[in-house]
Amino acid sequence: MKKTKKPASTRSLIARSILLALYIAVMLIMVITGRRHTILIDNKDAPDGSYMAIDGMEVQIDNQEALEYYPGDRDKAVVQGQRHKIKVDMFMEGREFEASFRIPFGQDMILLSVPKLAAGIEPYFEPFTVLESIASDAANEAPTSFGADSPVGLEEGPPAPELIQ
Amino acid sequence: MSPKKKSVSTWFSEYAVVIIFLAITVAAISPSKLSINYIIQEVITRLGRNSFLVIALLLPIYAGMGINFAMALGAMAGQIGLIFAVDWSVAGWQGLVFAFLVGLPIAILLGWVSGKVMNRAKGREMVTGYILAFFINGIYQFFVLYLMGSVIPIRNAAILLSRGYGIRNTLNLESVRQSLDTILKVNIGPFSVPVVTFIVIALLCVFIVWFRKTKLGQDMRAVGQDMTVADAAGIPVEKTRIVAIIISTVLACAGQIIFLQNMGNLATYNAHDQTSFFAAAAILVGGASVTHASIPNVFIGVVLLHAMFIVSPLAGQNLFGSAMIGEYFRQFIGYGVIAISLVLYAWKTRKAADNARSGLRGGASANGSLGANGKPALGDKNGKSNGESKGGRA
Repeated sequence: MKKTKKPASTRSLIARSILLALYIAVMLIMVITGRRHTILIDNKDAPDGSYMAIDGMEVQIDNQEALEYYPGDRDKAVVQGQRHKIKVDMFMEGREFEASFRIPFGQDMILLSVPKLAAGIEPYFEPFTVLESIASDAANEAPTSFGADSPVGLEEGPPAPELIQ
Repeated sequence: MSPKKKSVSTWFSEYAVVIIFLAITVAAISPSKLSINYIIQEVITRLGRNSFLVIALLLPIYAGMGINFAMALGAMAGQIGLIFAVDWSVAGWQGLVFAFLVGLPIAILLGWVSGKVMNRAKGREMVTGYILAFFINGIYQFFVLYLMGSVIPIRNAAILLSRGYGIRNTLNLESVRQSLDTILKVNIGPFSVPVVTFIVIALLCVFIVWFRKTKLGQDMRAVGQDMTVADAAGIPVEKTRIVAIIISTVLACAGQIIFLQNMGNLATYNAHDQTSFFAAAAILVGGASVTHASIPNVFIGVVLLHAMFIVSPLAGQNLFGSAMIGEYFRQFIGYGVIAISLVLYAWKTRKAADNARSGLRGGASANGSLGANGKPALGDKNGKSNGESKGGRA
């Protein structure tokens, strides 16, 4: 005799739905708290002269190592999550300040201008897009194909990476 | 044969692989000229890296399905999870959890497929699993090489091939590299121990011990001992076997993620190729057989196999002037161990069948061994025993 499958009870359906919701929630929490962003810390003059680069400063993002910047310097800090703290020590002027900011979720990279932040100009950070075209090493990228002894279906590598704002 | 002589020969046959391996490894330590501290540190690192994958083999062995060579399917699921973690820039331990959560449904689906297929190939699960892994590998390659970046959106152009779709041959896992190992690292003397990785492995061991005591775990062992008797007792044999394979595949998915986070890079198209092979070699080196395995076998096996892997290339270099000799030796030993274990298993099964036959002639079973169908493991007319026989099982 063929067994007939019992329909799932409302209780088990609710339990399954809760489990599914929990699963998705954990996944979202992981993405939000674990997502990496790159902050480009900039110490340059404004093109229109509205603010000037800081003579000498030490910048610390969250609990990372503090780095020294002089006019015209730009460096990066890689952070995880959206909320961050920046601590600036302008040692030439003897001034120190702290600020916190929130990186938009979808933004991989932002350009944070410390002179703008020090001058109180908003917004002091803006999205930064990288035009990435990484040179490929055809031999290195060749997928292992069944029975093949040479790289399959790969084109020539494009030019070297280029950064544009 | 005197009982004492018999017990010595039985003991030797039981632990032949372990003894041979131990002898080779100990003999290779001196010519390798490596310090003991270095070897111990490497073994600790590799224990953390590989143990989870090897433990994934236990449940199918309990369920009488032999070594799950289809665990490569779980490894592929884990790799897909990691590709998405890199694509979405999810870093740290969160990246590992995210990769597991992405890989989990894929591993469950592949485990179910694997279990279904193996239920149609009862008694030949190992070779079926091995070939199934090749088949699914084709689908995986199609998925990663053609669908990712074309049908499945990939945000991060840096991980795509230059043609615009398909994932690069080697993926840098820098964002999740050793993120589990470095959560808490404790220095004990000259050794650095990745505590959290070992806690995760210990939790899995606790889960396995607990699981064996549950109704499902008991069912699994009953199915492993005799499917016909288990079926007669009302145990859903096929369902239990599928569950064993699904759990093994899911554990392999997590194990591959732990393995790759430690390595720090992913060979997209062939990282999973030898996952099951090295895990099988490790558990067999640890004294397990295709019908019997335990948690100590896992750890003994990983320590012995990897101690040999550490010393053999340098021993080869120093003895023969070429490190490649050591590499060949490594491969040769890996495959050799699996071959020896399978031959010993076949020999033991046959011997048990002979004992049972002679016992029946004398009116009583010599060791009470049973075949797959609940009958004494008599073997067929040619003296071949049933592959599922438990004769000689510890």
